[in-house]
Formats: sequence, C-alpha cells, structure tokens
Amino acid sequence: MEIITIIIPLLAAAVQSGTPILYATLGEIITEKSGVLNLGVEGAMIIGALAGFIVSRYTGSPVLGFFAAGIAGSFATSIHGVVCLWFQGNQVVSGLALTILGAGLANYLGTSYVGLSAPGFSPVAVPLLSSIPVLGPIFFKHDILVYISYCIPPVMCLFFTSTRFGLGLRAAGEYPAAATAAGLNVLAYRWFGILAGGFLMGLGGAYLSLAYTHLWTTNLTGGRGWIAVALVIFAFWRPGRAVLGAYLFGSVMALQLRLQALGTQLPSSILLMLPYVLTVFVLVMSSWRKKTNEEPAALGVNVEPAD
Amino acid sequence: MSSRGSLIRLENISKSFGKVLANRDVTLEIMEGKILALLGENGAGKSTLMSILAGQMLPDTGTIYLGEKPVQFSTTEKAISAGIGMVYQHFKLVDAMTVAENVFLGQKGGFWLKKKKMSQMVEQLADQYGMKVDPGARISDLSMGEKQQVEILKLLHRKSTVLIFDEPTAVLTPNEAENLFATMKIMVKKGKGIVFISHKLEEVMTVADNIAILRRGEIVDRVAASDVSSTAELAERMVGREVLLQVDKEPVEPRQIVLRLKNLSGPGLKKINLELRQGEILAIVGVAGNGQKPLVEAICGLSKPPSDTVTILGMEWRKFFRKAEWDNALSYIPEDRQGLATCQGLDLLDNFLLTTRGGFTKGPWLRKEVAREKASYLIEEFDIRPPDLDIFAWQLSGGNLQKMVLAREFYRKPRLIVAEQPTQGLDIAATEDVWNLLLKAREQAGILLVTGDLNEAFVLSDRIGVMYNGKIVETFDTDNKEKLDQIPQMMAGLAVA
Ligand SMILES: Nc1ncnc2c1ncn2[C@@H]1O[C@H](COP(=O)(O)OP(=O)(O)OP(=O)(O)O)[C@@H](O)[C@H]1O
Ligand SMILES: [Mg+2]
Repeated sequence: MEIITIIIPLLAAAVQSGTPILYATLGEIITEKSGVLNLGVEGAMIIGALAGFIVSRYTGSPVLGFFAAGIAGSFATSIHGVVCLWFQGNQVVSGLALTILGAGLANYLGTSYVGLSAPGFSPVAVPLLSSIPVLGPIFFKHDILVYISYCIPPVMCLFFTSTRFGLGLRAAGEYPAAATAAGLNVLAYRWFGILAGGFLMGLGGAYLSLAYTHLWTTNLTGGRGWIAVALVIFAFWRPGRAVLGAYLFGSVMALQLRLQALGTQLPSSILLMLPYVLTVFVLVMSSWRKKTNEEPAALGVNVEPAD
Repeated sequence: MSSRGSLIRLENISKSFGKVLANRDVTLEIMEGKILALLGENGAGKSTLMSILAGQMLPDTGTIYLGEKPVQFSTTEKAISAGIGMVYQHFKLVDAMTVAENVFLGQKGGFWLKKKKMSQMVEQLADQYGMKVDPGARISDLSMGEKQQVEILKLLHRKSTVLIFDEPTAVLTPNEAENLFATMKIMVKKGKGIVFISHKLEEVMTVADNIAILRRGEIVDRVAASDVSSTAELAERMVGREVLLQVDKEPVEPRQIVLRLKNLSGPGLKKINLELRQGEILAIVGVAGNGQKPLVEAICGLSKPPSDTVTILGMEWRKFFRKAEWDNALSYIPEDRQGLATCQGLDLLDNFLLTTRGGFTKGPWLRKEVAREKASYLIEEFDIRPPDLDIFAWQLSGGNLQKMVLAREFYRKPRLIVAEQPTQGLDIAATEDVWNLLLKAREQAGILLVTGDLNEAFVLSDRIGVMYNGKIVETFDTDNKEKLDQIPQMMAGLAVA
C-alpha cells in the first residue's frame, strides 16, 4: 500500500510534466511527416508560452490565451516556412535560428512579466473516469489541456492513414517528386505541416505558462523543445509512440523533482541533467535498433517551387 | 494532317541542350491500338523526345497536336490530364506506402480514403489488364516487375490513352518482361496507343507494330515490324553499319587465383564457395534479389564479410582493403552507374580521378594536368561522346557514362574485375564495345560478371554459376550444353534431376 501512495502521485505528475513535451512532439511529427525538419521547436514553444501568458493576463481568459499561443506558434514557425519553402534555405540552420530568435524574443518581451501571474487552467476531475482505481488518479484528475492532448494522437493517426489530405502530406515527405507527378502541390502540404506543427508547439508552450505554472519566468521551456525533437525519432514518427516517450520523460522529470524535494545526497545539477542524459540514451537506442527505417525519406530535403 | 486513329502527333519537334542537338525536326504520330517502337543508339534522343511528350520539358520549336488541336504540355500534370502517361525508368513511387495508396495519390475524391473500395478498384483494374498485384502490399516489399505494374496501374487509373515505356524491360526478368508484353497487348486491344523504347531488338521485333529509328536526334527510318526480316537488319538500319553482336572469344590460359570465397555467409548469403582465376570470366546469373547484391558488396568492400571467407589476390579481405592499392588490384563496375560509379555533379575529369587519383598525386597535391592528358586520351580511345572533359557526368547518356566508367576502371589495370549488369540499358553498338572491352580485360584479369542477361553470360563467360536464394546452386563450364538448358530451372529454385 505504501508504495502505491508514492507511485500514483508520481505517475500523475509524470503525465503532467509529459504533456507539454507531448504537444511539441506531435507538432514536430506532423512537420517532419511533410518533409520539413524544424529544429526550432524550442523557439516556437517559448513564443507560444509568452503569447499565451500575455493574452490570458490581459483578457483574463486562459482559453483565449491557449489559442493565442497556438497562433503565435504557427507565426513563429512560418518564419521557418518562408526561409525553407520560399527561399530554399537550409532547414537545419533556419531551425537553429528560430530557436535562438524565440529565446531572445521571449526574454526581451517577457522581462517585465517575470514573477507575475496570469489566470490559467486548474485540474478538473473527470466524473466517473477519475474514480477508476489507479488509472483514475493518474490520468483523469488533470486540467482540460491534458485531456485535449489525449485526443490528438488518435486524430493524427486517423489523419495520416485514412484521409486524402494525410496521404498527400506523407507523400510530400516521402517522395516529393512522386507527389508532384501525381499533381499535388508539395509546397502547400509542407506549409500545412509547418503551420499545424507550430500550432501544436505553441500549445505545448502554453501548457507551461498557463497550466504547469501560472507564472512567467525566464527560460520557461528549459530545453523541452529539444527533447521533443529527439522524441520524434524515438517515436518512429508515430503519434502513439510519442505518448509513450513523452510520459517516459515526464516521469524522469517528476522523479527528479521528487528526489530534489526529498533532499538526496546527489547534487541537484546531476538530477537536473537526468532528462537530457535520457535523451541521449534514447537516441542511441533508437538508432541502434533501426532496422525498419521509418524516417520520412525526403526529410530535410528542399523542393523547388513549381513555376 | 492527322490520319484516322491518330491519338497524338508531334510535329517538327526540336530540342537542344547547349551545343547538343537532342532532337531535330522530329515528326511522329501515335496511333490508336498500335505499339510504336522507338529505336536508336544511346544519346540518339529517345528519352528527350518522350519527356517532351510527357510534359517534362518544352520543345525549343515544334508543336504537339491532340487531334487537330495544338497543345502545350508545360507540366506533367497537363500531359496526364490529356491522357499521356509515362512509365519512367526510375519509378516515381512512394516506398513507404501501399500499392493502393500510390495509385490513388493525388486523385480527387472525398475527405476520407475508403481503403476497401480502393483495394477493390486496384484489383479490378489489374485484373482487366492481366496483372497480379496485392493492393495492400508496401512498395518497398515489391520486386522491380511489380513496382512497374503499379506505375502502369497509376496511369490506367488516370485513364491514360497514350502510354510511354522508356526501356521498361531493362530491369525485368525475362518472365516479367513476358507479362509486361501481355499487358501491353491487352492495352492496345482496348484502343490505347503505346510507345515502347528498348535496346533489345528481339523484343522490339515481337511486340512492336511500327518502328521509328532515331539517329543523332533525327528520325532516319520508319518501318512496319512485319517488314523487318531479322534483328540484324534492324540493327543495321539503326546504327548505319553492320553490327554482328558476336565477339571472338579466344581461349586464355587461366592463371593464378584472384578471388576465393570459402563458406561465405551473411545477410542474404548462404555458404558461398567459388574460385576465380586470372584469365577467365565467371558469370553469376539468377533472378535479381537472390543474393547477387550482397555477394558483390562483400567482395568489393561495401560490407564486411566474416573473417577468412573472402580472399582477394591472395590476401585476406581485411588485409587487402587495408592496403588498398589503386592499380593492379580490384576494379568494381557497379550496376548503379549514376549513383555508385560516378558523381553526377562532378565533371568527367574529376570522375576519372575518383578511383585513379592514386596515380596522379604528388605529396598532398593532385596533378590534374597530367590526369587531363591521360583522360583525354582515354576518351578518344573509348569513343566517349561528347569528347569533352569539362561536362558533368549527368550530361552523358547511359551508354557513354558506362564507357567512361570502363575506361577509368581499365586504366587501373585490375587483376580482379567485378562487373554488375555492365550492358544494362546500352545500345547494341555500345554493348558490343563493352563486351569486347571485357574480353580484352580478361587477358589480364579474372572477371566476375553478375548479369541478368543470359545471352550475355553465354557469349562472354568461361564458366557460369547460378544463384538462387543466397546460394550458388551449381557452377559449370559454359560449353556444357546439358547444364545450360537447365539454367531456367536452377534460377527458379527447382531441383534439377
Ligand atoms: N538535361 C540534359 N542536359 C544536357 N544534355 C542532355 C540532357 N538530357 C539529355 N542530354 C543529351 O541529349 C542527348 C539525347 O539524350 P537522350 O537521353 O534523349 O538519349 P536516349 O536516346 O534516351 O539515350 P539512351 O538510350 O542512352 O537512354 C544526349 O547527347 C544527352 O547527352
Ligand atoms: Mg534514354
């Protein structure tokens, strides 16, 4: 019994810390499925987080803030779109620039908000479901944003496998020449991938500023965007596995916080390092066992616009 | 004026690439219910003409008439919607998707994909044209022949009336080729028009109704297939001189062993044993995908065999590749001329230096002028056209690119040569050249010839090994008539009595 009372709250906390990573990972998956590598997840997330925070603070509506975060995320990644889709710029460099730009912008615009709070989302237990033993308290005593995140992976799976648009998007990422030959506008699909992905990354940011905390601090995202980039590989570009990965990271983060709170002998910087060590480990493992290559074949390869 | 039954007409088409005139004043009509074969040497301009028809590029001058109406195919999409479809040599299929998904990619319809209905439609369509494909199979799991069928299905699904096949049989097994011809016959019976490009003259004789011959971009001859009496006649009309496609194979006394495989196993390979001596050609035949690729990769240093299984020029594999001499050693002539053998974006001189640079270095420097002299000489000797070292590899036609690779590799005076499909896609004159070159190289080297073309194996080799399912079923002398007759069974994995 003793152990259950420790583990359940820990797992519930894992779901909570995993959620922003999940949003961001799903965003990156949809972007990469269309053939665009966006390393600017971190930048899009932090811009989303700040936009959500500010809008919620001034309108008093966290819902508005949440959507504003998504839109800001799309806005941020649209820069990547302009560079890579219009000007055929290098996707790696452009993504890195977006990360730096986002961090700088959020720092600059956010300085005056540091330490201030905004109205956010609070946990609401789902009737019935939350009273299921074990699973209820782990999964169904969170805020609404967590519940929304549960719905996205199945919707994305359905989108990729069973819709005409999803088929085109995948073709744009696998073999743009084939998609073009079939009469599809590859760039349009890639724009969709970039913008929809940016929207989800922004939402992930909003989760941090509106649900995880209700406060603004500097460097709120703390490298979660990078973890998302790595998780996409771990997930083999599958939304379902992204859930697994995100919660795995969530547990390490939650555990690390607990251990700090318990005051172990280990220096806190070692504990803080844990998620990133896990990132490296996970990347090594998933490339090691890479027999079936699931990576979109044309990932990171620019296409010339049709004239 | 277009005659009755004409589906599409090209009139006075010209196209040049810089100084190269690829098509000059070509007029061509594609008729309903007829198979038109387009013949010509490498670089004659066949592919260029067909890419113009398929909307890949615009002609410099000339017009395409659809019925009486002049049309401009500025994109492939426009050509497709006008009913012109092309089966490219490099398939445009998404490997990670299924057959049905590829067929339906880009097709209009509702928001949702109805998978059941899609599969049914694909199956039906395939059935109508005598093809067999599993609509749910992933493209990456298909053989070349099956992939080609998917390409054809895509076009049929789009209601193409004119289908263009650019060297469709180059990548097919004889059996698959037969199936393709059967499908083509059904298509013309249903009123479609077909353009068929091939270097294999027997094929052209059997399937074509009409034949048009291109030389240096111009149409020089048109005949009905029924008026041609032999492939030799066809070859002569095409090249403008007599081509024998026969080579003199003089016996060479086999000397020391240059390659020895002992119980070589690995992914796709099961206990391979063979010996190859200087002065002989050993042909490895078999249906593609039965272990030829892993075998070649293990010998040529692309994948690591278990130790003590591969001995090259008397040295264990690891020792041989550690020393890696640039000359008097091993030359590899890969099947993938554009990927593995050359760098498409480099000029011919740099491509020449890719494997021969060991002979042109002075300390850290490359002696490019010396190399240029040598390479120019080789270009002349091997009759590579255009004879210009400053053009890029991608500008050469297939045959000339292959000659360039051979010129380079033979310059290294190899003692062991591994040649993979050395004449695939080459015209008969070039094939003859390559065959003669290989036979000449045999005097100094042992040659492992991996080929899907049985005729080539018969003509060139001293011994033949048949591969099936990762094993060498049997090795025998090429003059052993009895065994030669059993090759098809061996290739199919049937036990031979
Ligand atoms: N994109 C290009 N740029 C420059 N030159 C080209 C280009 N495409 C083709 N050529 C040249 O045009 C000529 C005709 O080429 P084409 O590919 O049409 O020949 P082909 O008859 O199809 O030959 P093969 O039998 O080898 O396929 C060749 O001399 C080739 O080098
Ligand atoms: Mg060609």
